[in-house]
Amino acid sequence: MPKSRIVLLFAAAALPFIVEGQTATSKVPRAADGKPDLTGVWQGGSSRIGTWEEANAGGGTNATTGQVTPFAVRGPQEKAPYQPWAAEKVLESFNRRGIDDPMARCLSPGVPRTTTMGLFPMQIVQTPKTIVMMFEVFHVFRVIPIGVQHPDDLEASFMGDSVGRWEGDTLVVDAIGFNDKTWLAGTGTFHSDKLHVIEKFTRMDENTIAYEVTMEDPAVLTKPWVQHSTIMLRPGTRLREYECAENNTDLNRYEKLLQDESVFRRK
Amino acid sequence: MTTSRNLPLGAVALFLAAAVSASAHHSFGAEYDANKPITLTGTVTKVEWTNPHSFFYLDVKDASGKVTNWKLEGFPPNVLYRTGWKKDVTIKQGDEITVTGWHARDGGDWGHSREVTFKDGKKLFFGPPAGTGDGGNAPSVAVPAK
Repeated sequence: MPKSRIVLLFAAAALPFIVEGQTATSKVPRAADGKPDLTGVWQGGSSRIGTWEEANAGGGTNATTGQVTPFAVRGPQEKAPYQPWAAEKVLESFNRRGIDDPMARCLSPGVPRTTTMGLFPMQIVQTPKTIVMMFEVFHVFRVIPIGVQHPDDLEASFMGDSVGRWEGDTLVVDAIGFNDKTWLAGTGTFHSDKLHVIEKFTRMDENTIAYEVTMEDPAVLTKPWVQHSTIMLRPGTRLREYECAENNTDLNRYEKLLQDESVFRRK
Repeated sequence: MTTSRNLPLGAVALFLAAAVSASAHHSFGAEYDANKPITLTGTVTKVEWTNPHSFFYLDVKDASGKVTNWKLEGFPPNVLYRTGWKKDVTIKQGDEITVTGWHARDGGDWGHSREVTFKDGKKLFFGPPAGTGDGGNAPSVAVPAK
């Protein structure tokens, strides 16, 4: 076969693939195995594009005007579908201004709170067989093997056990094996050790991962609780150290506050 | 938008942005009163560049000349770095500064810092917004009718 015809054949065979790749995935970085590459430093719970400094500048309450500019911007979220007795407990925690937050005791924030709170950056390292998520907060990490089952000797833990699989261009992470000592999202959102979390990470473009999380817990919820947010790329940011227990004076102060809850309780 | 077929329906709502107060290591709202803003000017006597929160201490002189040493709480070192601070450089013992923030609920000589203004007019955030970590404006659950 003449050389030119071979080239032509290859070109013809490659053409549909290239076009498909360009139309469907125009700005999504790809790993060598063709999967969307999630590698990078990210901020959960935000929809702002830019470096960490750009995306988080100017947030907060102006002490003079009282005007609030959000640090992290999230979409409107579904109210948590707690069973009535459990909703009362969540509400009580809200009214006590989150003074019982496990994080105040330097305990791992759990899943999915570690990802969605967006206070500090997270780093994802992706290989074909394992995806590792490292979080600046409390040195927490998640090792997510791809295409395997959960081990059968799980013991209840703060961050649970995660396994992943690819559904098309979406990374689906299934997590079980939790204790009941963390919060799911907002203040007081407790759960039981029956918690089952299913997360979907879909890289939409250079800057954005669409994040959908489904929390199932028949012991406290009436139905699965689904939340959507985005996780944003933070170019130039590196993970630093956050050693929570170094000088945690909050607990002593809380002890004093708790002697008279009317001092801080919502009316 | 060629990638829209991959977009979960609910994610569209994300762009109808709603403000949610930032989460924090612990509840500032339990300890500090967002309705009691304070502005203090004085001399830095000590800086604790520590986790999970940093502190600085400020000698503040009142009209009668009496000096009170205030304790102001703020971000941990990782956040201070990303907010523009450098340890032992940006704020040092002896610096004269003004800080805005909120008073402790117990009325003591301590508060939650927000914005520091230096002598040259430069401003940096040392701490988070009022109420951070205390649950925000609304609970995660619907409030049952009484």
